[in-house]
Amino acid sequence: MKESQHGVELQRVSRRYTRGGEGVNVFDDVDLTIKAGAFCALMGPSGSGKSTLLNLVGGLDRPDSGDVIVGDTWLSELSESALAEWRAENVGFVFQGFNLVPVLTAFENVELPLLLTGLSKAERREHAMHALELVDMGDRAKHRPGQLSGGQEQRVAIARAIASDPGVILADEPTGDLDFESACQVLDLMGRLHTELGKTILMVTHDPRAAERAERIIHLDKGRIDETQVEAQATGAGAADDGFREVRPKGNEGS
Amino acid sequence: MVPIKLIWRNLLRHKLRVLLTAGSLTVAFFLLCVLQALVVSLDQGVKNASKKRLVVQSAVSLFVNLPASYQAKIEAIEGVEETMKMTWFGAYFREPANMFAQFAVDADRMDRIYPNIDLVAGSWEEFRASRMSCLVGQDTANKYGWSVGDRVPLVGMIYPRSDGTEWQFDIAGIYDAGREASIDDQTMYFHWEYLDEALEAGATGGPDGIGVYSVLLSEGFAQAGVGADIDSLFENGPQRVQSTPEGEFNAQFVSMLGNVPFFVGTIGMGVLIAILLATLNTMLMSGREQTRDVGILKALGFDGSAAFWLLLSQAFLLCGVGAGTGILFALGVEGPLRDTLGTSFPGFDINQEVTIPAVTVAVAVALFAGLAPALRARRLTVIEALREEV
Repeated sequence: MKESQHGVELQRVSRRYTRGGEGVNVFDDVDLTIKAGAFCALMGPSGSGKSTLLNLVGGLDRPDSGDVIVGDTWLSELSESALAEWRAENVGFVFQGFNLVPVLTAFENVELPLLLTGLSKAERREHAMHALELVDMGDRAKHRPGQLSGGQEQRVAIARAIASDPGVILADEPTGDLDFESACQVLDLMGRLHTELGKTILMVTHDPRAAERAERIIHLDKGRIDETQVEAQATGAGAADDGFREVRPKGNEGS
Repeated sequence: MVPIKLIWRNLLRHKLRVLLTAGSLTVAFFLLCVLQALVVSLDQGVKNASKKRLVVQSAVSLFVNLPASYQAKIEAIEGVEETMKMTWFGAYFREPANMFAQFAVDADRMDRIYPNIDLVAGSWEEFRASRMSCLVGQDTANKYGWSVGDRVPLVGMIYPRSDGTEWQFDIAGIYDAGREASIDDQTMYFHWEYLDEALEAGATGGPDGIGVYSVLLSEGFAQAGVGADIDSLFENGPQRVQSTPEGEFNAQFVSMLGNVPFFVGTIGMGVLIAILLATLNTMLMSGREQTRDVGILKALGFDGSAAFWLLLSQAFLLCGVGAGTGILFALGVEGPLRDTLGTSFPGFDINQEVTIPAVTVAVAVALFAGLAPALRARRLTVIEALREEV
């Protein structure tokens, strides 16, 4: 797997929602820069715009004004279908509710994003199994989500997020629905994605202990950004020899 | 590109619901096929009737016979190639329930009037050789286990024998009507002279004369022109006649049944609407249950068309399996159904005229039921889809 080249930049981004007939400014002229390979925690009260920020960076939402730049891609310039394609190649999502497809096995869930890559069936199988083994779920490949615990489901979700070797991992409260032990396992995995694979990680969390795993904590409140630099956990974005293999999709080397 | 197993497994998410819907589709399409086959069988004699034949009947009523002397006069008209007497006999075999059609005809002319009849057993020569000989349609022969050489006793209702005995006929041939649309495979044809002699000898009661004349036109003559000449010839005669193209004549019998196509069509439409709504309901529920899956797929990079086909494919699979089973079932029981319907619907056949409309309807049902959830899936954003509580 490759070290991420995906820095994230928000330039004068504004986003406004209408709730109950009233307009609410989530962001108003916000600037933010996250370097490639950084592990950032996003914290803040409910409604402060944490998930909105993840959605904007992941190309799931568009700003009313301003620009979101990931790597060298200006997301506002992409059509919906181009944005979907970009997402498939560059972003891995980890959700609080796991969001695995219940009718597919763990292996099939992890294989899903690889279907968009042009890999052969054998290659897809190899990469999906490798991703599952990385999260220590290789022996549960044939289990469906309903047959797994919450922590196991989240590990499968992480395997799915990294299967196509995206540059950016966006995690929306990945430990929110987990017990302490499972949460620790998931956070360990997130840490490995950062330290060993050099992924750019943005993780929304309410849990200060989870946030401490990040090298940078971004506080959001009423559309404003405040930051804390965490020294202890930061081990640099460089990827060491990690035993992780290159699984970037064909034709995607330049992105 | 949506994986087939995702489509298939999502469809089977609620097995009982899908099974019940597919079962309803099976029953509905079986019914649609049977009803359509009934309508087609009624229309067949009209649609495929010969353009070279006329039927001459009394202008008063089909139940009023014409004089035998008319045959020569009709044959003298320009454009008439050949004529054949046809008189409805109205008899049954052993029990009144064993009723089938019989006609007294000119045995030596029949193969020229109906050149497409195939004899699957016996020969025209044997048929022509004896006045007691008859031809029997293969369906009736099969039904009663008759074969060439058998002597068949029939009880006359229009022409009851004076001594109370049965009429006796010798089977000289068994026919397959083949491409002769005006003839079915259930009728019996015998010598008109056999009936006429019995009438003259007082051996039977019943009306004199000829039921209708079947008229074969010469090459290059049209039904309308020759028919008008025939009608005008007997304008002032003892019996006025009405010449009708064979297709119109056959249509009279269909109309005698009342507006059966409308009645059958109404039932079919009711069945169709019911199954349409049931399938739509199933697909709307499935679509709503799969909202989160749609959000997941889109978040992973699948586009709107993948979400669209995920839902629409399920509608096509559901309708394909349900309707396909119904159509196959109808094909499977076609033979027993034809036997059951007997002479009421001659030519009952689950053929392309039945299956192609059924497949078309199945596609329409799939589109109708699948489009709404599929379009919704395509339109939903990832955020909307993942937020929606199912």
